[in-house]
Amino acid sequence: MDLKAVKSLLEENATRTWNPLGVRESYCSKWAEGLNLPKKGDTLLYTGCLYQMIPYIQTFSGLLKRLEGLGPFISNLALTMGRLLNSLGVNITSIMGIVTSRGERERYFSILRRIANALKTAGVDFAYMKEEPYNGVLYHDLGMDELFREHVVRLAKKIRETGAKKVITVDPHTTYMLNYLIKEFVDDFDVEVVHYMDVLLERGYTPKVRGPKEVVIHDPCYLARWNGVIDQPRALLTKAGVRVREPEFSRKFTGCCGGPIESLFPSLSSKLARKRMEELKASGSPCFTVMCPICLTNFQREARELGVRVFDIMEVIE
Amino acid sequence: MTDLTEVSQLLNKVSEDPVLRTALDRAIASYWNKRKQVMERYSYIKELADEVRRIKEWSIDHMEELLGRAIEAVEAKGGRAYVAETAEEARKIIGKLVGTGKVVTKAKSMTTEELKLREFLIERGNEVYETDLGEFLVQFLGPKPMHFISPSIHLTREKVAEFLKDFMGVEVDKDDVEGMVALVRKFLRDKYFSADVGISGANAFAADEGAVFLIENESNIRLSISLPPKYIAVVGMEKVVPTMSDAWKVVEVISRYGGYKVTSYINTVMGPARRGRGDIGPEEYHVIFLDNGRREASKDPILKQTLYCLRCGACQYLCPVFGVVGGYWAGLESAYSGGIGVMWEYVTGDKETATQHAFVCLLCGRCIEACPMRINQPEVLREIRRRLMEKI
Repeated sequence: MDLKAVKSLLEENATRTWNPLGVRESYCSKWAEGLNLPKKGDTLLYTGCLYQMIPYIQTFSGLLKRLEGLGPFISNLALTMGRLLNSLGVNITSIMGIVTSRGERERYFSILRRIANALKTAGVDFAYMKEEPYNGVLYHDLGMDELFREHVVRLAKKIRETGAKKVITVDPHTTYMLNYLIKEFVDDFDVEVVHYMDVLLERGYTPKVRGPKEVVIHDPCYLARWNGVIDQPRALLTKAGVRVREPEFSRKFTGCCGGPIESLFPSLSSKLARKRMEELKASGSPCFTVMCPICLTNFQREARELGVRVFDIMEVIE
Repeated sequence: MTDLTEVSQLLNKVSEDPVLRTALDRAIASYWNKRKQVMERYSYIKELADEVRRIKEWSIDHMEELLGRAIEAVEAKGGRAYVAETAEEARKIIGKLVGTGKVVTKAKSMTTEELKLREFLIERGNEVYETDLGEFLVQFLGPKPMHFISPSIHLTREKVAEFLKDFMGVEVDKDDVEGMVALVRKFLRDKYFSADVGISGANAFAADEGAVFLIENESNIRLSISLPPKYIAVVGMEKVVPTMSDAWKVVEVISRYGGYKVTSYINTVMGPARRGRGDIGPEEYHVIFLDNGRREASKDPILKQTLYCLRCGACQYLCPVFGVVGGYWAGLESAYSGGIGVMWEYVTGDKETATQHAFVCLLCGRCIEACPMRINQPEVLREIRRRLMEKI
């Protein structure tokens, strides 16, 4: 993979759509259809778009992995071709969208809808963004700070426009970004950021089991280590009566799913996923629960071969 | 420079090597168990680690001043001190001190690996022996030390038995680890007595007394630096701390986080043997303080974290990427390994290679939990990426 090609592709997609994979913001907010949410309010539910992007990430990285196998010439050529098509106005992402199944796409919207419904049931009023922007984390991870700055300055403005004083987040990366990273790039970002699990627990929400009754818990790195959200998922699962099995490496010492390097090193990333999944499997249940869309997608890819099932926590409880 | 294909091909290839995987799995499981025991038994250790972090921060901010004090102390005790600005300069100084046609025994030392010192001295017609068992294996089996304290982490006992059988020409039982250790010991025993020069690195260096601190488990360091008449210590400038008391603290933290309840031997050397007093030990004490990028890094607000590294290897054991590719991460040309290895390579070696390898990091942060100094490797590695991405 050539970093120059990666950088240009990301920049061009960002210019067109403010999204690294070219996923439209109007698509990202589709989870809210039919929920009758307001567009302004004191509290905003901001998803950061990672769940919505999962089907695209899967198609894209599946493609990258195959290309990687064909050698550097082909994979760099493909990246260049992708850019060329982009520049001709052909939207690769919408072509990719056809490849991904409707059922797959619906699955990730429904996780977000369940979070929204749980919050509603817990008595929380919140708004959403009609055109929901991506969280920008990939740009930061890759060291593309200028693009990240541009992205989060706009994001901060959009959040302000909703009138929100408090943002509820649904994934570890967006939570970390809004709690810490954005402050290095946006001077006056003084919105309170809180993870949805904290909101649910604070409101005394009692979930019900809807998936497996016993799961191995996988702490996402950015949730456990970087945001300190460790006891919350356990509390919710236990309240619902789900038996939680702890792997050898958990909590602050949890093992990474490999997801963060899947765009640059797809094969290595999948080996890391497998290694972590073997650790999880050894903890006594073939059902895993995760609380991060990146973990979800990276494990999902290997799940069938390993004979395990991977659930988002909101597919285990509701 | 921007093409990551080679990095990716190297790491993909080794991640499929079953021998490497078995070796790493065994080593990591064993470390994790030992670590849990150590953390339970020495509950004060985290506090001590925090104190050492403050000592290191102060020391790196006062590197020049400490260096001055250290040189003075070494010379006051009759030793000789040198400052090498680059690896080449260091090799030149050491090359002169050793000469040619000599027998050299070496303690395991990452800083001498950074200098490719063994290869250099051999090329100049010397006989050089690594005396640490793991490093001894690496000397003959390669490809490089794969971990700070466990250089042969990539080798299984089966592989080692195979090698020793050929090397020593005797039958070797792959399950008799003690027996294999004894074989190498016996081979090295003669070398210590015939050696002209002993060379070591340093785990810490106390500026007040000009003292090198070295920890070990095999007593090989003791022998390699005491028996030969000439002793050379190669000390990275980041190793210097103000006092003996500070150095003891550093040493304790290194050994505990390295997974040892206690290391078997702790050595300090603070001067040559005094003539006419019947002292046993080398009559010449040479200390080479190595810069090789360290001074520059000490002034860089983000990179300077690299210099807090005690090289205990905890982060390597617990890094998910390391668990699959071992010391191949950072590249075969680098003396260093893993994410922290990429940082060290960036500071002391080839910035281009280091930059490419910086993109492998997951930014997952388990290294921060593992590290007694809580070095933020994701922050540093991301910064290295940033420096490239803004240019291309």
